[in-house]
Amino acid sequence: MDSVVIAGYARSPFHLANKGALARVRPDDLAAQVVRGLIAKTGVEAADIEDLIVGCAFPEGEQGLNVARLIGLLSDLPLSVGGMTVNRFCGSSMSAIHIAMGQIAVGAGEAFICAGIESMSRVPMMGFNPMPNRALAEKSAAYMGMGETAENVATKYQIPRAEQEALAVESQKRASAARDAGKFVDEIVPIETRDGLVEQDGTIRGGTTAEDLAGLKPAFDAKGSVTAGTSSPLTDGASAVLVTTESYAKAHGLPILARIKSVAISGCAPETMGLGPILSSQKAMERAGITAADLDVVELNEAFASQAIACIKDLGLDTAKTNIDGGAIAIGHPLGATGARIVGKAASLLKREGGKYALASQCIGGGQGIATVLEAVE
Amino acid sequence: MTQPIQKVCVIGAGTMGAGIAAQVANAGVPVLLLDIVPKDGANRNAIAQGAVAKMLKTEPAPFMSKSAAKLVETGNIEDHLEKVATCDWIIEAVIERLDIKQGLYEKLEALKKPGTAVSSNTSTIPLANLVEGRSEAFKADFLITHFFNPPRYMRLMEIVTGPATASDVAAKVEEFADVKLGKTVVAAKDTPGFIANRIGTLWIQLGLNAAFDMGISVELADAVAGKPMGVPKTGIFGLVDLVGIDLMPHLQASLTSTLAKDDPYQAIARDIPLIQKMIADGYTGRKGKGGFYRLNKEKGRQKEVIDLASGEYHAVTRPAGPRGAAAKGNLRKLVETKGGIGEYAWAILGGTLAYAASLVPEAADDVVAIDDAMKLGYNWKQGPFEMIDVLGAAYLAKRLEEEGQPVPEILKVAGERSFYRVENGVRQHLGLDGEYHDIVRPEGVLRLSDVKLSSQPILKNASAALWDIGDGVVALEFTGKMNALDGEVMKLITKALPLVQEKYKALVVYTDADNFSAGANLGLAMFAVNIAAYSEIEKLVAGGQMAYKGLKYAPFPVVGAPAGMALGGGCEILLHCDAVQAHAELYTGLVECGVGLVPGWGGNGEMLLRARNAAKMPKGPMPPVAKVFETVSTATVSKSAAQAKEMLFLRPDDGITMNRDRLLYDAKQKALSLVEGYTPPEAPEFRLPGDSGRVGLSMAAEGFHKRGLATEYDLVVSDALAQVLTGGEADLVDTVSEQELLKLERDAFMKLVREPRSIARVEHMLETGKPLRN
Repeated sequence: MDSVVIAGYARSPFHLANKGALARVRPDDLAAQVVRGLIAKTGVEAADIEDLIVGCAFPEGEQGLNVARLIGLLSDLPLSVGGMTVNRFCGSSMSAIHIAMGQIAVGAGEAFICAGIESMSRVPMMGFNPMPNRALAEKSAAYMGMGETAENVATKYQIPRAEQEALAVESQKRASAARDAGKFVDEIVPIETRDGLVEQDGTIRGGTTAEDLAGLKPAFDAKGSVTAGTSSPLTDGASAVLVTTESYAKAHGLPILARIKSVAISGCAPETMGLGPILSSQKAMERAGITAADLDVVELNEAFASQAIACIKDLGLDTAKTNIDGGAIAIGHPLGATGARIVGKAASLLKREGGKYALASQCIGGGQGIATVLEAVE
Repeated sequence: MTQPIQKVCVIGAGTMGAGIAAQVANAGVPVLLLDIVPKDGANRNAIAQGAVAKMLKTEPAPFMSKSAAKLVETGNIEDHLEKVATCDWIIEAVIERLDIKQGLYEKLEALKKPGTAVSSNTSTIPLANLVEGRSEAFKADFLITHFFNPPRYMRLMEIVTGPATASDVAAKVEEFADVKLGKTVVAAKDTPGFIANRIGTLWIQLGLNAAFDMGISVELADAVAGKPMGVPKTGIFGLVDLVGIDLMPHLQASLTSTLAKDDPYQAIARDIPLIQKMIADGYTGRKGKGGFYRLNKEKGRQKEVIDLASGEYHAVTRPAGPRGAAAKGNLRKLVETKGGIGEYAWAILGGTLAYAASLVPEAADDVVAIDDAMKLGYNWKQGPFEMIDVLGAAYLAKRLEEEGQPVPEILKVAGERSFYRVENGVRQHLGLDGEYHDIVRPEGVLRLSDVKLSSQPILKNASAALWDIGDGVVALEFTGKMNALDGEVMKLITKALPLVQEKYKALVVYTDADNFSAGANLGLAMFAVNIAAYSEIEKLVAGGQMAYKGLKYAPFPVVGAPAGMALGGGCEILLHCDAVQAHAELYTGLVECGVGLVPGWGGNGEMLLRARNAAKMPKGPMPPVAKVFETVSTATVSKSAAQAKEMLFLRPDDGITMNRDRLLYDAKQKALSLVEGYTPPEAPEFRLPGDSGRVGLSMAAEGFHKRGLATEYDLVVSDALAQVLTGGEADLVDTVSEQELLKLERDAFMKLVREPRSIARVEHMLETGKPLRN
């Protein structure tokens, strides 16, 4: 089988939901601008694209219907290009990449755009009509709030608040340093809004200190340790990667970032959903025939500092190589858009930093983990 | 002809200027707010912008809604002064320096349109000085408009015109201030301090002097000069703490330099060493380290008070203040009380009332202006002449004479007579000419109190009354304590319905009281609970539901006209009206959950309807339910009528009246406008989310509980509320009728009213007036 590569990555700036610069931008418009940006920057022939697969965690309202098809039409993709919306909550757009890989494996296409979108300003978490099943609610933590699961992980792994805050400070520091050094310029597609062009992330709080964070109140449990400062913020954003066969990319001179070596999905207890990356990463690394020691780049989504720390500990990850340009606590976590961001980011970093293997992994509400192992292409 | 006022400019973004700009914006009128360019910093509009930003965080809020703040355009006087050409009224509220004001007017004269009014908010500088050097045309457009702090909440505006002021310009400003800004406009003469501050400053000085001279403690002084005189309970020392002790020397200097040398104030103005020391030490009142009172943080915020002799603080004690009739408004008993109290009361009252009496006609043309100024500018329950009527004009004159004090002319004119009387159903005041004159309400002002002087109620019982307010419209008035609602109110409504249908065109629900209604009479409900008369309670709930639905489906229009608080059942009656004409200061909400209950008089269904019909409400069964659940479970209360619209207690097209005195008239007009072709609404049906929705709501509530924002018992109460709002046992595909929803509401209410923790909440509310967070 021809191998599958990441042949391009783009994202919108990320902005805080409700108060940020993208709050007034429709999610379908936002994603369409990123898709157009990706095509422009990679130079891929749009007519060659088989399908536009879009991840979205709450696909309703303005990001409802089959939003992928709508984004395709908004982006002026050729009518021949398909559109499919995928929901695996926070793992949605990473799943989109995995689906594309599977389609390529069965010979159903050579080039796919795998995107993600979430406007947490315009579609609330839980959606507009949360209507849980009482029987399930009573027998499992399927509907538990994410903050509570982060508290559970902190308790289970005995992660003190100060340790969580240290990770958050580091995340902010790395993200602001990367931004100041212009390291996000290549990946960000400036977004047109009614108030002008938005070119930079609005989420990063560079000056954050441990003292600032120590003063915050617990956000989810009055007696708990997780605060707004050690959680990823509600975020508006979109992301997209170009997934193609290696031979297609080479034949068309596309900028190959990395090869997808292996992928994995796993389930876990909903009440500690933040531990999801552990099993999924282990499975993916096993499939790739590597161990954590072989990783040169890790993108581990920081839904919460507590779960990120737990995963780093259990997987034995090197913090120096993990979230090199900062993580979601600083950059933001627009649910459905995060998977494509961290796969695209890991691939870009592998290219920028050098090295052989990269891992992108994230936890998923309801109790799942998802992981992708990337390999450098010589 | 001058332009009607469609845009206003306020120059000076200090507390007063910014607050005035906010009130203009509250009226829905665009306003330009300018200040100087700051000495440092790149943002040349920083001062005006900072003032708006600060107001958005201030409590009590200067803005009635966030959208009002968007009507304020900020700028600076160097770059943007020419924009005054687009404004129809320019209000100057800059520093009290004649040279600066005159310099500004010179620039304005070159830039403004002819006929654009210019007014100063000065409280100290005579109009004659302000317009020195200006053209006749400018003088014709110029006047003084003196607002009180805070401009949104204080209803008084003193207006001073000069000999050259054009009457149409003054009339235009007066009308705008009245109708749009909601102010009672009192005409004052161009004399120092105008009316309210001139009398108020003397009153404060008398109170301070006498306390120091007579060795009266601060607590006793305020206990005498507060409630017994119909003055806010802060009394005099508490008031000075509130406005700032450091302001006193400025007021004193200003008045002593401008008042005539023989003015009585000159004789009593003096520096008090302790006060000078307090200011020097930073004890400037509530805004400083403390004042005559302070909260000692080292002692757990214990309230302390200063000893006027030693200057030391000690814990506040409860003095033996006036008792009996002397404490309840009988001023003669008060000034004749033995043991220091009477002497102290007389020192203040005798001096203040005599002074006020001496100001007709020097500062105001009649006694009504002076009384209005003190009632609205200092929140006195009665004005000086109303107090003289209580004390007796002859009594006051006699005591002044005995003490060798001059007796003001108007007291001599009054003799044995009172300053106010009612003749043929019309309230009249005594003029300097010795004649009584009708008090004429301005066009568009209707007071129920005036109606009552000239007519008898159509219906009346212990808790409510029905009045004919003319043109075929009746007013339903609540009359119980705090306008509480009980079975009697419901009975009167039930009785009124056929009567109105037969003989009248429309009904307005209105009361002259400060607060529309504090809600159901909880005391009565608790009495029934204590004797386990649950069936009586259920009857009361069902009776209220029926009465309110009766209003809703009556074959004539019903208009609610609330002002102040309209809580619980008081909010629910408004939800059943065809339309509401609300005073801008409306504090309404369904607060039942705060006392461990749920709305029981149809409020749930009416709120669901509002939410269902609200613009921008997302589709699906949950959004309206979740919105109502959030508002009601947290007992949210609006802080303005504009906010009540955002919270759905009012409909988008419900009216808002800025001037309290115009509320009843406006409501009556609204009711009359609905009469022709009126058809009552049809009973709605609901599609509600059922059990799944309830799980969703309880999960949200549990999240609040975990965060420490809701108590465990809040969860019990909110679950009962969720049971109603989600339709009980009904499934998503079922239709729930209004009657079925009312039954769910009754059941939830009756379940909670038996719960000991709900009873504890109600009892706590009755005892303390505050919610119990159990």
